[in-house]
Amino acid sequence: MRIETPQQLTRLRKDCLARFNRHPQKIHVCCGPGCLANGAQKVSDELKKVIKKKRLKGFSVDALKETGCHGFCEQGPLVVVEPAGTFYTRVKVKDVEEIIDKTIRRKEVLERLLFTDPQTGEKIENYRDIPFYARQQRIALRNIGQISQCDIDEYIAVDGYQALAKALKKMSPQDVIDEVTTSGLRGRGGAGFPAGRKWSTCARADDSPHYVICNGDEGDPGAFMDRAIMEGDPHSVIEGMIIAAYAVGAHEGYIYVREEYPLAVVNLQKAIEQAHEYGLLGDGILSSDFSFDVHVSRGGGAFVCGESSALMKSIAGEVGEPRAKYVRSVLKGLHDKPTVLNNVESYANVPVIIDKGGKWFSAIGTKKSTGAKAFSLVGKVRNTGLIEVPMGTTLREIIYDIGGGIQNDRPFKAVQTGGPSGGCLPESKLDLPVDFDTLTEAGSMMGSGGMIVLDDHTCVVDLAKYFLAFLVDESCGKCVPCREGLYQLYGLAVAISEGRGTEADLDKMEKLSDTIVISSLCGLGKSGPNPFLSTIRYFRDEYLAHIRDKKCPAGVCRELIRYEVDPQKCDGCMACITACAQNAITGKKKEVHTIDQDACDKCGACLAVCKRDAILVL
Amino acid sequence: MVSLTINGRVVQANKGEMLLSVTRREGIDIPALCHHDAVEPFGACRLCMVEITKAEWDGWTNYVAACLYPVEDGLIVQTHSSKVNELRRTVLDLLLARCPNSPEIRQLAAEYGVTQTAYEEIPDADNCILCGLCTRVCERLGFKAISTVGRGHDKVVAPPLKEAPPDCVGCLSCAQVCPTNVIQYEDEGNKRTIWNKSFELIACKECGKQTITRDFAEALSSQRNIPEDYFELCDECHRRELSVKMGSIVSWSREAAS
Amino acid sequence: MNHDLDKLPEIYERYPRTPQSLIAVLQDIQKEFHFLPTEALKRTAEELNVPLSKVFSVSTFYNAFSLHPRGEKIIRVCVGTTCHIRGAKQIQEQLENHLKIKAGETTEDKKFTLEVVACVGACAMAPVVAVDETYHGGVTVASCRKLVKKSKKGKKS
Repeated sequence: MRIETPQQLTRLRKDCLARFNRHPQKIHVCCGPGCLANGAQKVSDELKKVIKKKRLKGFSVDALKETGCHGFCEQGPLVVVEPAGTFYTRVKVKDVEEIIDKTIRRKEVLERLLFTDPQTGEKIENYRDIPFYARQQRIALRNIGQISQCDIDEYIAVDGYQALAKALKKMSPQDVIDEVTTSGLRGRGGAGFPAGRKWSTCARADDSPHYVICNGDEGDPGAFMDRAIMEGDPHSVIEGMIIAAYAVGAHEGYIYVREEYPLAVVNLQKAIEQAHEYGLLGDGILSSDFSFDVHVSRGGGAFVCGESSALMKSIAGEVGEPRAKYVRSVLKGLHDKPTVLNNVESYANVPVIIDKGGKWFSAIGTKKSTGAKAFSLVGKVRNTGLIEVPMGTTLREIIYDIGGGIQNDRPFKAVQTGGPSGGCLPESKLDLPVDFDTLTEAGSMMGSGGMIVLDDHTCVVDLAKYFLAFLVDESCGKCVPCREGLYQLYGLAVAISEGRGTEADLDKMEKLSDTIVISSLCGLGKSGPNPFLSTIRYFRDEYLAHIRDKKCPAGVCRELIRYEVDPQKCDGCMACITACAQNAITGKKKEVHTIDQDACDKCGACLAVCKRDAILVL
Repeated sequence: MVSLTINGRVVQANKGEMLLSVTRREGIDIPALCHHDAVEPFGACRLCMVEITKAEWDGWTNYVAACLYPVEDGLIVQTHSSKVNELRRTVLDLLLARCPNSPEIRQLAAEYGVTQTAYEEIPDADNCILCGLCTRVCERLGFKAISTVGRGHDKVVAPPLKEAPPDCVGCLSCAQVCPTNVIQYEDEGNKRTIWNKSFELIACKECGKQTITRDFAEALSSQRNIPEDYFELCDECHRRELSVKMGSIVSWSREAAS
Repeated sequence: MNHDLDKLPEIYERYPRTPQSLIAVLQDIQKEFHFLPTEALKRTAEELNVPLSKVFSVSTFYNAFSLHPRGEKIIRVCVGTTCHIRGAKQIQEQLENHLKIKAGETTEDKKFTLEVVACVGACAMAPVVAVDETYHGGVTVASCRKLVKKSKKGKKS
């Protein structure tokens, strides 16, 4: 069925909304990556089975929705009963029957499945009242967890494609650009370039055709916001792209999706098909003379392809080597033609900006970083998950109020943002407002939104080494400073982590970093030394402990630690003996075990399995 | 035309011209190992980094690869400032760690004061600096026989599947353009071997000297409409033939005139 | 090696026969055979009119491609940042011990390939191990043995 006019879209929206709200109660099963990893699919399948079996009045399988990531992954699998917002955590297959019998049939709440506030010990029924959710403001993530993963009717029911209709019928392309400029939207991929300015440059470029590309190559390890959007609300991205294409005069677009996200590819492709069916993609969209089509391009698995010129080469079927961008890709992009490239989250914001106005958007956040930003809040934080907060929220609010503080009440050590190109910020920076410029000034960067919380068991030397190893592996190998420089920088970090480093090495590393930053060809190299530079800036003492004292204070670097059994605590359960692959631990049941230091390879398996805290790290 | 200042001297250049070509015309020596006029600039070796600024930049400076940077009016360029020399020195130091045995790299590094690398030498180093000139020249000629393989620090230049490259015609362009002379080949009798592939060399019909490979000759005649028998003579004999022809024309015209 | 190369023409039909389709075609071949057979690379070069050198260059540049046969099941240890700080290295070593191969290798019986992957995007459940497309969150040193056992029992996916 093709939608020919905005009026038809409005009518369809009414129908969709009626269908969407047909059931007085709805069950949302979170099928985001976190919940799936915890068995959400089995829970959902069981729910369907039980619903069919019970044949409740006014409640059918249609009232069950498999949604995208609801956010609070730590508590998954999540099942939410709407509209009450009854929030069930860690749901197992065996809980299903009871949920249907009690909560659906008798409107009773199952206390034991509710979230317990760790501060007050109180059970909270409605997820909107849980601090994790209450402190958020969801713009790009507005629909995720609220609608089925890939259903255009539900998207339309929640006002989807209204912004497109508004843009096409009531606004000129320049009006759209002006609105985006007014909104102050800056690229959510990391660099924070103003989207309005980018669109405007592309729109004015003489060369043709123009292209619109969505960067879904979420390569930063520790980030999954874009994945959640592409899987959970693909239409918001597509609608944003169509609006962008209208604004810059493009008729063809690509969504470049990371190889590791097969479900995102499937859902985007489904969404594109649905949009075609409704005439929201293709020729003469909503009976206007504007035509646009979008293709999904699967990445090949290369971090460097998050860099715009490498990404465009990859779309063209080539090796993803960046080129120097003294001529910007907005003028000379895909196939050397003017190209607008924004990331997933940026596009997902666009429909809201057009719908509610640029002024509404710019009132949120800070003056120079407007709107809200999605983060994947992970690591050693209690409440891990997917969040979106207004720009300017402090790190402390995010980590402590939303994140609930550090796991196991350990001390906070640092927060890592910006992925391999970003850096680590220490406790003294916790009150910094999170926005593009503040994070950069502090020596880290916004990046795409990975926020990894570290406690005192994380070694910054090890972390720098980890990121450098990642970058050595992911460097395309084209330019010398990145290919050879990062390799040498990594080697020096390894030496320090193994107690072979000297203080002169630190000077060497700083000097080398300077050259890599200035003279590398693309952003990967230019920001490559950041994991080292930000940790040496804030944690020089920890480096020196490795160098001078040959100690790893966090107990991580294997060459500088040893494990021993605490005879006071060991109860002889033999768990460590079973876990030790080197057969380095001996002892009998119910007798204190001992570790043979010569045989021990310091893998830490014993520490991980010991339930008595009897393994000491020295 | 645009006007820019290089090392304190005002210089005129064509719009769209790259900075490196201007400095070269001006006789300024900037090292550039991945650059060759036959192919598009690449920006991989980063040795041609120079310092740029403009009067209106308020003292802010930037470092750019001259081979890829299009000249602009009012640009102020320093090609050998102390910072630029330091960047070059570090890059050369890194290259020296990669190719400790390359005479070309050793010499260039020494010019910038590096005689021994400060970094860990790469075990089993060969002399390839991955400038990509060989693969780009091969592509430019239309053969596309070799390419880079892998990525990052493990990247190498190799023929497909690391077997004798089916599209290679034995033209030697890759070997000749290599700044560190890594690509080995052998001419023996009427046989040339490169990339583990053997080629028949054509012998000049007149003097018997080996000219180019049969595959290259065939490729050139079909690609560029050159008569097939053209390659039966070597360059020298071609010239001799031409001079005989010219001579006969001259004597004929003299005769005609008198 | 006997690979059913008859499946190739169907793959080529899915995309326009242009160099731009190269990565998509190679991905489909990889999915079909779990690696890129040499013969398939040569055929692809001809079908898409791309030089063989470029096909080789692309297939060695991207992580998605393997030029060597892999096992029936792929066990991928996520070593993304979050998994790393939550002990992914230990998980990797445990799996290496249980499978008696190193990451990047395939068991002799061709049943399993063990790989590490930079991030599967399920960071909230770190450390994560993916067996084919199924993710396992919160993997522990102790649960690795069970995971391998279960995977051995499971049907070929």
